[in-house]
Amino acid sequence: MNKIKEWADKNIQGDPVIWLVVICLSVFGILVVYSATGSLAYRAGVNTEKFLIRHTIMVGLSLFVMWVAHKIDYRYYAKLTHFALLLSVPLLLYAWQWGSQVNGANRWIVLPFVGLQFQPSDLAKLALIAALATMLAKRQQKIDDFKESLIPMLAWCGGICALIAMTNISTAVMLFATCMLLLFIGRVPVKYLAMLLVVGAFAGFVAMKVGQRGETAMNRVRSFLNPTEVPYQAQVANMAIATGGILGNGPGESIQRNFLPEAYSDFAYAIIIEEYGLVGGVMVLFLYLVLLYRGMRVVANSDRAFGGLLSAGLTFAIVIQALVNIGVVVGLGPVTGQTLPLISMGGTSLLFTGLSLGIILSVSRGEQEDFSAISGDMKNKLRTA
Amino acid sequence: MNIKHSILLRVRIAFLVAVLFVFAVIYRLVDIQMVEGDHWRQLAEESSLDYRTIKATRGSIYASGNDLLATSLPFYRLAFDPSLVDNKTFTSNIDSLSHLLSKYFRDHSSDYYKKKISEARQMKSRYLILNRELVNYQGRQEMLTWPIFRLGQMRGGVIFEKIDDRHRPFKKLAQRTIGRVNGDGKGVVGIEASFNDYLSGKNGEGLFQRVAGGNWKPVYASTDVRPVDGYDIHTTIDINLQDVAQNALLRALSTYQANYGAVVLMEVKTGEIKAISNLEKLESGNYAETYNFAIGTTNDPGSTFKLATMLALLESGKVELTDSVDTGDGTIEFFDGKLKLTDVKRGGYGKITVQDVFEKSSNVGIAKLVTEHFGDNPKEFVDLIKETGLGQPLGFQLLGEGEPYIKDPSDPSWSGSSLPWMSVGYETGLTPLQTLAFYNAVANDGKMIQPIIVKSINRANKPVEVFKPKVLNKKIASDETLQKLRLMLEGVVERGTAQNIKNEHYKIAGKTGTAQRLVNGRYMTQSYYASFAGYFPAEDPLYSCIVIIDNPRGWNRYGGDVSAPVFKEIADMIYAQNLDIHDSFAPQYTAANNGTFPVIRAGRLEELNELCNQLGISNYADEQASDWVRSSVNNNVVIWKKNHDNTGLVPNVEGMTLRDAVYILENIGLKVLASGSGRVKRQSVGAGVRATKGATIELELG
Repeated sequence: MNKIKEWADKNIQGDPVIWLVVICLSVFGILVVYSATGSLAYRAGVNTEKFLIRHTIMVGLSLFVMWVAHKIDYRYYAKLTHFALLLSVPLLLYAWQWGSQVNGANRWIVLPFVGLQFQPSDLAKLALIAALATMLAKRQQKIDDFKESLIPMLAWCGGICALIAMTNISTAVMLFATCMLLLFIGRVPVKYLAMLLVVGAFAGFVAMKVGQRGETAMNRVRSFLNPTEVPYQAQVANMAIATGGILGNGPGESIQRNFLPEAYSDFAYAIIIEEYGLVGGVMVLFLYLVLLYRGMRVVANSDRAFGGLLSAGLTFAIVIQALVNIGVVVGLGPVTGQTLPLISMGGTSLLFTGLSLGIILSVSRGEQEDFSAISGDMKNKLRTA
Repeated sequence: MNIKHSILLRVRIAFLVAVLFVFAVIYRLVDIQMVEGDHWRQLAEESSLDYRTIKATRGSIYASGNDLLATSLPFYRLAFDPSLVDNKTFTSNIDSLSHLLSKYFRDHSSDYYKKKISEARQMKSRYLILNRELVNYQGRQEMLTWPIFRLGQMRGGVIFEKIDDRHRPFKKLAQRTIGRVNGDGKGVVGIEASFNDYLSGKNGEGLFQRVAGGNWKPVYASTDVRPVDGYDIHTTIDINLQDVAQNALLRALSTYQANYGAVVLMEVKTGEIKAISNLEKLESGNYAETYNFAIGTTNDPGSTFKLATMLALLESGKVELTDSVDTGDGTIEFFDGKLKLTDVKRGGYGKITVQDVFEKSSNVGIAKLVTEHFGDNPKEFVDLIKETGLGQPLGFQLLGEGEPYIKDPSDPSWSGSSLPWMSVGYETGLTPLQTLAFYNAVANDGKMIQPIIVKSINRANKPVEVFKPKVLNKKIASDETLQKLRLMLEGVVERGTAQNIKNEHYKIAGKTGTAQRLVNGRYMTQSYYASFAGYFPAEDPLYSCIVIIDNPRGWNRYGGDVSAPVFKEIADMIYAQNLDIHDSFAPQYTAANNGTFPVIRAGRLEELNELCNQLGISNYADEQASDWVRSSVNNNVVIWKKNHDNTGLVPNVEGMTLRDAVYILENIGLKVLASGSGRVKRQSVGAGVRATKGATIELELG
């Protein structure tokens, strides 16, 4: 026992609560994915464990990515962000024009040799938030300077979100909102944010017209606003929630998973309620709030504005996505196609979630001694406390 | 305020917003579960959603030339909800509806239908099957115009339940070989069963929602598993030849009141089966295709096996065709007279050549020859036969091939009489198809090929898999032996046991067989298995064929009498159709039987009568005159005599106008090719010949 503790102390660092929450949600995710894909696999005539095995491997990989990422001093990421952001632009363009199509949108790039598909928007999301944190941290002293401080940040936010909007409007809107929040947290004056909102709305309008998904987005919003016509998925989701009751029907006992499209990703939360009841559903919400709370703790404990903003941005990105997904399931928003982070089945996007969490953990560990030599110059500039 | 505190404050504000949102979510959850709960639970309870099988369309089976043998068509079962219509409509329309139902199905009176429906209505029944017989699409459309039914399902209560049924356009033709599909859509016999995996395709599954009226409507496509339709099977069956073969067999079976019979016609070079028919007598006395005897039933082949015996004798080099054999008084005894083989001819054939032994089918002669040459070493005899491939399963494409059996000296049941009895076709088990493959090999210069019935498996006219003739044995015997065997097979028809099918147009080569039937382990002396196997034309064989008839009754029950004529009827048909075989023969023009009346020789009585009356020529019809007459002249009077009946025989059309001749000949299914002008002078198919549908008849006018 002591040995395990010794090993864990040495190898697993950072906030233990975040680790615990991540592992809890991942295990929950594996259970839900298995339940939701078993009958799908059976009907398609493939091995019922096929999706379970694939998902478990991806979860394992993403935990590994998270572990590796948390071992790295977070100040390294500041250097990487700019490069990652620059890289994501051509990738987004490529996916939009030449990417492979899934369900009517070219969001995917197939990695040569490995055969894995990944969405450049996952990379862009991470890169933009990290870059924004870097830029905000650098400009804390003159945050009111519109020209020097704000123009570059706003340009990046607008540009990346617009590119993503070409193929995926809901992700773009969500990222935009996260960026706004991060800018708010980073002390950007509210009047500038209001201005950004106007610019964003205009960009969104253009994306609707030029991009591939304008019509889908319009339809989804329209059907959400029409109270008489409940979309098919929402109907089944409501049935699942209603039949789940307080305690649920028990693991693997979902009936609506057979009728719920994307029960293993977009509508996983409905299956959670059906199988684990209101108790299970509130538990999941609670876990996300704990994650958010611990992310906030990291901000409080961080010595530097950069670490705090990075941690805040990434935590909010994950939790906002989770809340949007859950909001859709319970009928608080139009159908978006956002997955439930850490729970939904979804190949490479799990790895990016792992990377995000790894960075948050890295910040929570605080600064490492051996790093100061490398970036001593930065230290002086960024010290805020 | 310092920067860090300001940031923290803003983060906390955002966190609070998130917490608020979480409460909103929990509120919604409780709302859905408690307030709207009953509504949604009831919806779920009704389970108006279900995964339903999307049936794959079963592939079709084609004959050569793309004639459809079996295909899946939608049919409907007619059911009725008698409770839906109001009283006024019901009482004023029930009579006419019952009348139409009775008229359509022709099985019950209109009173029956009226009673049935009225009773169901009184019982407040909501579902009544009006007739088990399925209705096709046209029938359904027609019924939708009937009173009450025309109100539709919702108001009129008519229910058409769609059922995919297997449709065989040629009904009973090759029924057993094509096979049958059971209620689950799975082939159970024949090609339907043997190629079921190809034909059936793969059913899909789709999510459906129940809508008003008990119908299902597909909802969401992405979770559906699409059905994959079945492949089409293209067979080698020739519809016309199949028809001829089946009819010839049926006629022979009926004449001899036999138990069952089978006929297989095969193309020599390719092994393609052109016709295969099996008929068995039912309790009712009618014949029907109940089992594929040609493929599944092994039997003592009887004398047709003598071809294999002769092959062994000739291949061993111990016998010449001209060697003489003393068959004595037609009996040969074994085990001190306990077992006896006899010849058909009473008193025996005396001293005859080896060739005569075969052509006359002398059991004594054959038995003597094998005892003399293989008596010391019966294994040599058996091995020589087995080396040809006879006795090996053919690996035929259809399931259920009978396991062939050729006794080996090592077999515990081998006895001193086994060798002679085997040599004449007993103590052996072969299916008709296996025997035919052996005869086909002799016709095909010694190359034994696997018979095939399925040529290709297609998807939308594109072959997915093509079956090529497979060689089972490149050479079953030396050319010299083969030439002798063929000489003797021709002799059987020329001089031997099948002289009755000898004809001058083309030569048939073959062998008769008359085995005693094994009943309860004993050979019955008065109960036979009559067969004829052979090929034609003898000089350049195109087709091989076997006919077997089990337990014919009556006087002439030998293979030559019973089975050979069936063979000939099929051969005649092919001969008539196949111009390639004709080339070496001159057209069989018949000489004109000239009367003296020059102008009107033959035609339609009504017209000729009027014509003569107009011209003032005295004429009258004799008592037997029919529609179509021929003139004969007696002094100055024209007498109209009967030309032909509608018997299906080719009539004499000489002297007729081309218009009349074409009308008559095309009515009986011939194709007319005319040359010259004037009246018909000569016809290429003589009068009185049985007309074969589709055959061409040439007319010379002048």
